[in-house]
This record gives sequence, structure tokens and C-alpha cells, in this order.
Amino acid sequence: MNRVLYFKELKRNRKNALIWGSIVVAFTFLILSIYPSFSEMGEQMTQLMSTLPEEYARAFGMDEGTWSSIIGFYATYYGIYITLLMGIFTASTGATIVGKEERDGTSEFLLTRPISRGTVVRTKFAVLGTLFLLVYSVQTLFAVLGMVIFGDQVEWSHVATMHVHGFVLVSFFTAAGVLMSAFLSPKLNYMGPVVGMIFGSFFIDAISKATERVSALGYISPYHYLQLQAEGGELTISAVPSAVLLILAGGMLAVAYNRYLTRDIVG
Amino acid sequence: MHAIELVGLTKFYGKHRGIEDVEFSVASGEVFGFIGPNGAGKSTAIRTLLGLLKPTRGSARILGHDVDKEGVAARREVGYLPSEVDFYPEMSSRELLQYHADFYDVKDATERIEELATYFELALDRPIDDLSYGNKKKCAIIQAVLHKPKVLILDEPTGGLDPLMQNRFFELLESLNKQGTTIFFSSHILSEIQRMCDRAAIIRDGKITAIEDITSLLAKQMKKVRLVLDQEQKLTLPEGAQNHHETGSKHSFDYVGPTNALIAWLSAQSITDVTLTEPDLESIFMNYYQR
Repeated sequence: MNRVLYFKELKRNRKNALIWGSIVVAFTFLILSIYPSFSEMGEQMTQLMSTLPEEYARAFGMDEGTWSSIIGFYATYYGIYITLLMGIFTASTGATIVGKEERDGTSEFLLTRPISRGTVVRTKFAVLGTLFLLVYSVQTLFAVLGMVIFGDQVEWSHVATMHVHGFVLVSFFTAAGVLMSAFLSPKLNYMGPVVGMIFGSFFIDAISKATERVSALGYISPYHYLQLQAEGGELTISAVPSAVLLILAGGMLAVAYNRYLTRDIVG
Repeated sequence: MHAIELVGLTKFYGKHRGIEDVEFSVASGEVFGFIGPNGAGKSTAIRTLLGLLKPTRGSARILGHDVDKEGVAARREVGYLPSEVDFYPEMSSRELLQYHADFYDVKDATERIEELATYFELALDRPIDDLSYGNKKKCAIIQAVLHKPKVLILDEPTGGLDPLMQNRFFELLESLNKQGTTIFFSSHILSEIQRMCDRAAIIRDGKITAIEDITSLLAKQMKKVRLVLDQEQKLTLPEGAQNHHETGSKHSFDYVGPTNALIAWLSAQSITDVTLTEPDLESIFMNYYQR
């Protein structure tokens, strides 16, 4: 890793990270702050949930018990919005952190300095990892803070499980973003494909759960393999699919890395 | 040891040939020209030399370092001025030049940046995005020479510079060359090559067609002659004239031969106006290499 490049890249990406981090944190805090109003409605909310169409509730992971605690309330929004927002930020950053240099022509400047391509790409990956962990940690911190302020009883093990689930999904999407930029034309604006990939994965999974007729569609979405399960009062995710998705993410980064090492910079 | 050495360097883009079997060497301290029309393969050769393109076959060395296997060591000795300037638009020139200097651990970077910016009249604190093309080019020149490289690779270096700055740039190059810097100068502007270079390689359709001393190249160089006689008359052309066109008292022809002989011939004519122009490189190819 090159120290000069690492700090310069962190500086160049700080505004983007700050904007996305603020959006995710504000959203987290906002949804937790409205939980007390929902909890006061107690019985009415439980009844409202029971009136939801079964397919709809299954697609978006909700049932009568979902909003009876701050964890359930948070889980609904976390699964739908926060992992999507986080995924879009990290995957689009992953897609542009190396690819943008080529699109803007600055790769010629960077790669004619006394620094190997491998070092450039590894340093960029390190910056991506730093930004990911930074935004993810701040979001987690504010989620915990929000639950302490607005919640009653918090099952911290459930919060941890939920955030591990989000971490695995977002890692997968981030690596997919990096892989995308290694093979697509550098002239492309990656935001569209990134948003399409993440929203597409989410809605394909939701649709596959809503109706049996298209349930096979779910197999092409990473969400399908990484379901949060509530059993016996415990919230769990399956270890094997999580490990497989993380290994796949590592594989995608390795393929992208090798592609970048051999790619011609045509200017 | 050669400063630059290309051996059978070949680059294909799929089935399309970029350069093929390009082979030459540049001695330490030499100013070497690299001439060719647009699309001839100059930039492909340079980009391969700098490791931006992976060669299909062959090899290139800078100060003995293989650019593919020891690229970092090779590039540490190189200053590169690209033909198109693409820098980080949000940075100021000062930030970019400091960023560049940090890669090379330049000790006195701040003073040297100020000194070169003053020489080239470059405002250091404006964002690069707000600079004119000429000022971006000045910034590119400064980054190429800032770390005092042993080898300078210049690709169409004067585009965007006004004549005053071009002159300062050439003076800087002459001074660096006197201090031992090897200069590889790629251009399609013959007058620049004539002013700066000891030897030149000519590339056409991806292949080297000649490597010549500049003096020998000049001796073979064609001139375009346009003259207006004081009256319509049959003209006996000098030896070495060709492609003669006549419209009334106006004549034009291409001339290859000693310049003194041409001047002697011109002085014997009754001329009201005459222009001698340097032909473009394409004309020289047509005139000299395709015959």
C-alpha cells in the first residue's frame, strides 16, 4: 500500500462519504425517533399488521410481531432502506474508485509515477474498505444510540445479527461494483448499473417471496441466501450462505484485481 | 548502457496493429526525436514504454530497467509530459505538483515548484479545472521536470503553448540536456525536432522507417517553393524540382537539394514575390521514403 496515494484518495472521497454517511445516519436516527409514537399505538399496530396481505408481509419481512419492539421496527427499515443505501454508496464507490481514474484520464498521471499497478489497486481497495467500515461503523453507532434513547428493551444480540447480515450483503454488493468497473467500459457512468443491481436484487427476492409461481427467481438474488430467521426468540442468519457470499465477494475482488493489472490504459 | 532501448517492441489491439517490431536505442544525454504523422504509432510506443500498455511481444528498457518487470525502478528515473493533459480537476496546480513530488520524495519541492511556476508564469493556487489548456500544459511541463529525472519523455510537448512559452520551454530543455538529461521528443512538428534533436526515428504505420541524424534528414528535406514572376514566362526549373504547377505568372514546385543552389537559382529569376515553406511530415514521407 502506498501512503501518499492512500491519504490523497481518502481526501478525494471524503465529501462523498460524508454526504452518504449523513444520509444513512439521519435516516437511521429518524426512523428510530418515530418508534415511540408507533409503540404507543400498540394494539392498533398489531391489528394493522394482521390486515396486510400475506404475500406483501412475506415479501417485506413483516408480521404482527414485527413492530411490537424497537428491534422489529428497526429491522423492517434496516432490511429495506439502510442496506440498500449503504450498498449503493459502497458499490458505487467501489465501481468508481479505480474506474474513474481511467474515465477521467488521470490514470495516465497515476500509473506513470514510480508505483506499481498492484500497489495502486491494493491502495484503492484499502481506501474503499476504510470508507465502507467508517460509514458502516458510524451508522451502527447511531443505531445503537437511537435504540438506547428511543427504545425500551433492546436485544443487543439481535442488533448484532442484523448488522452482520447487512455487512455481508453490502460487502457482496461492493465487490460486485468493483468487478463491474473492471470489465465494463471506463466511459460508462456506473451509478445506473449499481442502483439497478442492488434494487433489482432486492425486488427480485421480494417478488419471489410474494408468490410461489415465481419463487425460483429468488435464486439469482443474494438476499435469497441471506435471510434473517426468528426462531425461539432468537434472531439468526445462516453461517454457510454468509460465508459463501463473503468468499464470492473476495473472489470478485481477486478477479477485478487481476483484470486491472493487465488492462491496457489506452488514454 | 542506453537511456532507452526498444527491442522488437510490438503492440496489437486485438487484430489491429498499434506498433510492430519497433527497435531503436537512445544514448544517455542524447536528444532523440520521434517523428510520425497522427496515428502512426508514436503514442502507442510511448505508452508501452511507460507501462500503460502491455506489449504483445518485445521489450523496452529505461536506464537498464525492463519497463514491464521493473516498471517502478524505470519510472522513478523518468519525467513524462503527455500530449493530452488530464489532471485531477478539483486540485490546484500547487496541490497536484506537491502530490507528484511526494511520490518521488523530492526534498526541496516547495521552492522548486515556486521557481518553475515563476519561470512559466503559472498561477499555482487556481483549481486545475479553471485553467486554460495552455496553463494546464505548463503545469504538465513542471510535473515532468520537477523531480529532476534522468530521462524526459515528451509527447507532442508544445501544443497549447504560446511562442514565448515555447521558447522558454526549449531553453529549459537545452539547460536540462546540458546537465545530462536524456530527452525523448515525440512530435509531428519538424521545426521542433530540428531545433532540439541530434537524431530522430521516423515511424509510419506502426513501423520504424528510418533512424537518421537530423543534419542528414535536413539535407534530404524537401521545400515547397511558391513564386510570382514579374511576367508570364517559361521557367527552367532548378535540378531537384518536381510537382511543378503554373498559373499565369505564379509557379509552385517542390524542391529537394542544397538550399544554396536554390537561392542561387531564385536570384537569377525576375521575381516579385517568393515563399519557401517547410513541408509537413507527410510530404517528406511522400517525397523521400516512398520514392
